[in-house]
Amino acid sequence: MREAAAKACRTLLEKGDVDAVLGLEMVGDIPTPKVFVSGDDFSKFEVEPVFPIVTLLRNIWPFTGNERVALVVRGCHELAVKELVKREIIDGRRVRMVGLACSPEQAAICRCLRPYPATVDVGSRAEGVQDDVARKIRSMTREERLAFWEEQFKKCNKCYGCSENCPVCFCEECALEDCMFVKTEGIPPSKSFHMIRAFHVADKCIECGECERSCPVAIPLRSLQRMLAEDMKELFGFQAGHDERPSPLVATLDEAPVKGVSE
Amino acid sequence: MAEFQPRILAFCCNWCSYAGADLAGVSRLQMPPNVHIIRVMCSGNVKPEYVIKSLVEGIDGVLVLGCHIGDCHYISGNHRTLKRFALLEKLLEDVGVDKRRLRIDWVSASEGEKFQKVVSEFVDQVRALGPNQLGRGAA
Repeated sequence: MREAAAKACRTLLEKGDVDAVLGLEMVGDIPTPKVFVSGDDFSKFEVEPVFPIVTLLRNIWPFTGNERVALVVRGCHELAVKELVKREIIDGRRVRMVGLACSPEQAAICRCLRPYPATVDVGSRAEGVQDDVARKIRSMTREERLAFWEEQFKKCNKCYGCSENCPVCFCEECALEDCMFVKTEGIPPSKSFHMIRAFHVADKCIECGECERSCPVAIPLRSLQRMLAEDMKELFGFQAGHDERPSPLVATLDEAPVKGVSE
Repeated sequence: MAEFQPRILAFCCNWCSYAGADLAGVSRLQMPPNVHIIRVMCSGNVKPEYVIKSLVEGIDGVLVLGCHIGDCHYISGNHRTLKRFALLEKLLEDVGVDKRRLRIDWVSASEGEKFQKVVSEFVDQVRALGPNQLGRGAA
């Protein structure tokens, strides 16, 4: 998989389809992000482990000029790029995606429903995996659920990893950095921290699970997002990343009615 | 033991519901004193963060009142409120908070009686639910 992805990227560079490739390179035994340009050595090009490459792309985007960038995308990365293009954070015409299908083991770790991009260039499609943690939480009674989440939120040490690494968490003025909602001092933060974070990305979360992967205390944030994504689908029939429509939360009722809400 | 008295926040929009509350007061309609009114310019101004924060910090119920759909002073502010709060209700249920602690309704400036009705109903409803477990231990 590694060689095939490296070859695909190198070919794109050599053909002049792109000006740079954003990828990982092994430095010692640590995969490190790097911008590859024409003539660079691809022998240490790496695609594992799952890396928040789209977050990186978004962060360096303001500093790019007219360069066309290629990157290796997994199923979740592809949706993240689509969501960012839709929201005009990055320019889709300057991004070239090389599709990489995840292995069944990776899909199981991520509890991923769609572990492959639309066009698979490298690897073969694995079966989607249901999120049994989210299902378990849904089957609890309300009191059990509250106790469960309170226990989880108590572990938080406010590292902000979940929001920093999130590809779609990009507001200039962040509610989590507002002392109105999150006090500067004190660990754990208020129980509202993760509820606010979850709500803020609810209409753009593409369920890559980067929040949970970056969490040092293993709060099942991905399952919280899964539940909210199910709610979004139920309320508005909207799926972030898949839908071309803008978020229904910023549309009027004529454009995106709410099911089951009477006046 | 004394009966549980819930603490309730009501976000009222400046153009309709706050005037409706005023009318209810001027008309001397009897209402439970558990409700603290906060005036906002539009119900669309009420961030879900405010609701989450107040529930976490020990408020037992949150009432959001705005103009009727179609009557919003800012044309479509309340459309957004309605959608945002539909999702917020789901989030509250997902983390284990009863969604009946949150109510969104429309009260126009001439509906003093409706304001009284909504407030009384909501206070009774939250009283029946008991103290908010999410906010226990908070001030």
